Amino acid sequence: MEIINFLNLVFVAPIEDMVFYPIFFTEVVISGLLTGIMYSLVALGFVLIFKASGVFNFAQGAMVLFAALNLVGFIEQGFPIWLALVLAIVVMIILAFLIERFMLRYLINQEDIILFMATIGLTFFLQGFGEMLWGSNVKPLDLGIPNQSFEVGGVLLNEFDLFAAGSGAILVGVLAVFFHYTRIGRALRAVADDHQAAMAVGIPLKTIWIIVWSVAGFVGLVAGIMWGAKSGVQFSLSLIALKALPVLILGGFTSVPGAIVGGLIIGVGEKIAEIYWGPLVGGAIENWFAYVLALAFLLFRPQGLFGERIIERV
Amino acid sequence: MLYRETGQFKISYAADQSVFPISQDRWFVSVVIAVAFFVVPVLASEYLLQAVMIPLLIFSLAAIGLNLLVGYAGQLSLGTGGFMAVGAYMTYKLTTAFPDINIIIVFLLAGLIAAFVGLIFGIPSLRIKGFYLAVATLASQFFLLWMFNKVAWFYNYNSSGTITAPPREMFGVIITGPMASAEIRYLVTLCIVIIFAFIAKNLVRGRLGRSWMAVRDMDIAAEIIGIRPFQTKLIAFAVSSFYCGLSGAMMVFLWLGSAETEAFSINESFNVLFMIIIGGLGSILGSFLGATFIVGLPILLTNAPQMVGLSMPIDMQKHIEIMLFGSLIIFFLIVEPHGLARLWQILKEKLRLWPFPY
Amino acid sequence: MINKQADQQFAIDVSEVESVFLQGEYKEVLLDIAEVSLAFGGVQALSDVSFDIYKGEIRAIIGPNGAGKSSMLNVINGFYHPQKGTITYKEEVRKKMSPHKAASQGISRTFQNIALFKGMTTLDNIMTGRILKMRKGLFWQALYWGPARNEEIINREIAEQVIDFLEIEAIRKTPVGKLPYGLQKRVELGRALASKPDLLLLDEPMAGMNVEEKEDMCRFILDVNEEFGTTIALIEHDMGVVMDLADRIVVLNYGCKIADGTPEDIRSNQGVIDAYLGVSKNK
Repeated sequence: MEIINFLNLVFVAPIEDMVFYPIFFTEVVISGLLTGIMYSLVALGFVLIFKASGVFNFAQGAMVLFAALNLVGFIEQGFPIWLALVLAIVVMIILAFLIERFMLRYLINQEDIILFMATIGLTFFLQGFGEMLWGSNVKPLDLGIPNQSFEVGGVLLNEFDLFAAGSGAILVGVLAVFFHYTRIGRALRAVADDHQAAMAVGIPLKTIWIIVWSVAGFVGLVAGIMWGAKSGVQFSLSLIALKALPVLILGGFTSVPGAIVGGLIIGVGEKIAEIYWGPLVGGAIENWFAYVLALAFLLFRPQGLFGERIIERV
Repeated sequence: MLYRETGQFKISYAADQSVFPISQDRWFVSVVIAVAFFVVPVLASEYLLQAVMIPLLIFSLAAIGLNLLVGYAGQLSLGTGGFMAVGAYMTYKLTTAFPDINIIIVFLLAGLIAAFVGLIFGIPSLRIKGFYLAVATLASQFFLLWMFNKVAWFYNYNSSGTITAPPREMFGVIITGPMASAEIRYLVTLCIVIIFAFIAKNLVRGRLGRSWMAVRDMDIAAEIIGIRPFQTKLIAFAVSSFYCGLSGAMMVFLWLGSAETEAFSINESFNVLFMIIIGGLGSILGSFLGATFIVGLPILLTNAPQMVGLSMPIDMQKHIEIMLFGSLIIFFLIVEPHGLARLWQILKEKLRLWPFPY
Repeated sequence: MINKQADQQFAIDVSEVESVFLQGEYKEVLLDIAEVSLAFGGVQALSDVSFDIYKGEIRAIIGPNGAGKSSMLNVINGFYHPQKGTITYKEEVRKKMSPHKAASQGISRTFQNIALFKGMTTLDNIMTGRILKMRKGLFWQALYWGPARNEEIINREIAEQVIDFLEIEAIRKTPVGKLPYGLQKRVELGRALASKPDLLLLDEPMAGMNVEEKEDMCRFILDVNEEFGTTIALIEHDMGVVMDLADRIVVLNYGCKIADGTPEDIRSNQGVIDAYLGVSKNK
């Protein structure tokens, strides 16, 4: 009897719940999708930098936080919103410049893990710096984005979430076009493949890197705005960097559409797992579900959904 | 001139393969160990022992463990904290269930369990490499910590969720628990760490170390020579997790006295990773040096302002500490990516000539 | 010069081989490749290739770039598994090899783009060649004193003999990543020799070498074959070297075998000349 009860709890009851209460299920899915878009935005920053400089930028999460902190800080100082936005973008560009000047330039020939470690150091630095400048309290971020809830076919939706989704989609579209159809995009891809070869054909590495890190900074700002407006700008934003990793696994490290799809899958998967199976085991499945999902995925497809197949030759 | 090797030649392979082939090294290490055993416990204050020496040794052991996996076998792992937690919690369960077994034996048993868990979580390394593997190890980190949090059996159903080291004794002396003195705990830690550092050194200079390094450098070629990469990687995971588990157990039982899962969070995993990067990948000495750096730096940063006469609000201090930490890591990686161990080697090279100019 | 000690060490092996050496009528087949086909990712690397290798001979595999030579070696090694055909090694017929089995049954190889373990010294690299002969488990390794150390010393001696043979004593403790290209190739040969192989696969061992280095390498290859009786399969582009060293030659082109025979046969084979050796403008 115990076993039957257990099997019922784990396999049957949750599915029943999903089927008998489709509206709730849809809301869970949508909520998951929207969280997923947020993850994707962060993952997008990763993909950009990795695609263009081969660097796995662990500091992306800290950049999200830093950008948002600056924005809120400027607004609090009394600047009008549009000016604060411009200033925040300028700060990210300056940051990109500084990163290239003081970090990337010296580490150009090192192994990947050294660069990765350096970005972790950068994470610490940005966190400390941002909090030193603006303080470490949670800051609300109100940008005047509409936040009304409304119903569609019985399902509860929210204007803000749709706005976030929309911005994400537009951003992805622009970036995808940029990478594939412009000269700079091609240069970026060359640099990601092989720094030295790219230099040998005359691609200006420094400029490319500054461009890429600035764009990633901008993407970070957008992500920071979305997350911050939803739950306030605070330190834990930088932990989102860790959550973006499973997204990258699923989507592949070098694919912009992959980051989106990966984010959506992780967002939905996490939500569903937490709502329907969470109560069985005491909750907080969200802490590890994304990683286990990524792990399971890796076992079957080591290069992710959209990543490039690695063929090793001897 | 101090470090001349001339005149020291080996006439047997055994001598050539010894841990410290150069006699100056042997002297130096003997002196350090003698000081560690006889001078430090007598002269050092309780604060120094508790805040610096004991954690330094414990984290050196964890760093050695991670270095075996990352530096020698080339498998990137971010799950150190989780495996340390396994060691700690399993020690707790075992010693509360069987209080009569000698605590050192319990440590070793817990280490074996941690090794087994590490083995399981190392299975993905068959198909996954590099950063992907790192993300996979994150799964182990988060899952294990969640498990130790949620499943109350692990902390004997007590309401606070913390595990506390019960008093245990050996040879009539209390070595764990609130009554154990810092000196005793320090000496026990020192013995354990020296023994296992020696074992680690033995492993890496023999067949196993070479297999690990071969798999790290080019696992395809290694396979063609006859090394089995999967087995080699699994052994690396197992041994590394043993070391991490042991150090986790020591952390709770010989240092902190009690702990929650927070003590083994992802931050610890990154800390230990920093230790081996800064100390030097693929070097046992580097593990010690890196641990010294990472354990010592926050203490230095906390105490330095007072020593210089500045006073700063606590949270400002914390922020500057974090910033400085991050910048120092970047600085280090730029200046000497092979870590303190390489700097040490360079120093020894210079000592060959000093005080002569060339 | 080969020192007396190495001579003594390997004296037994040589006399074993003498009884089946090529002078006699009896030629034992060590490796037989039968109708092996290999394709990956849409590329047909090998099509129905068949040839054999006698024990104790030097067999050259030549052909234009992309002909499938390295793939052939990879199949022998067990790194690639052919879709069709059989591999018969030491009279055991197989559909495919596994790398571990190949290594433990006496097949060693070098690689086109040096596959040394860059983080280790020359000595360590050569010692890894002995890995299959070192059996002591984890416990003894951890202890080191006793059985594990004895094993280390025994295998160290053999590694040192290889080092003597290849005249690389001076770079024994140098990390191989720091060595010049020619020396790296020699160290790689050393690693392959350390396991005392029955069949040695050499993938372009002379690539990128100058005349002197090539002469040295030829000398070593000949010594390995004559002194230790090791069978050698050799991929090489330098025709002078091939014609001088090889007992027999297989010619591949676009994954198919187009000729098989002694150097004289190959030199005058029209198909080979058209595909590979080149046709002179003035006929």
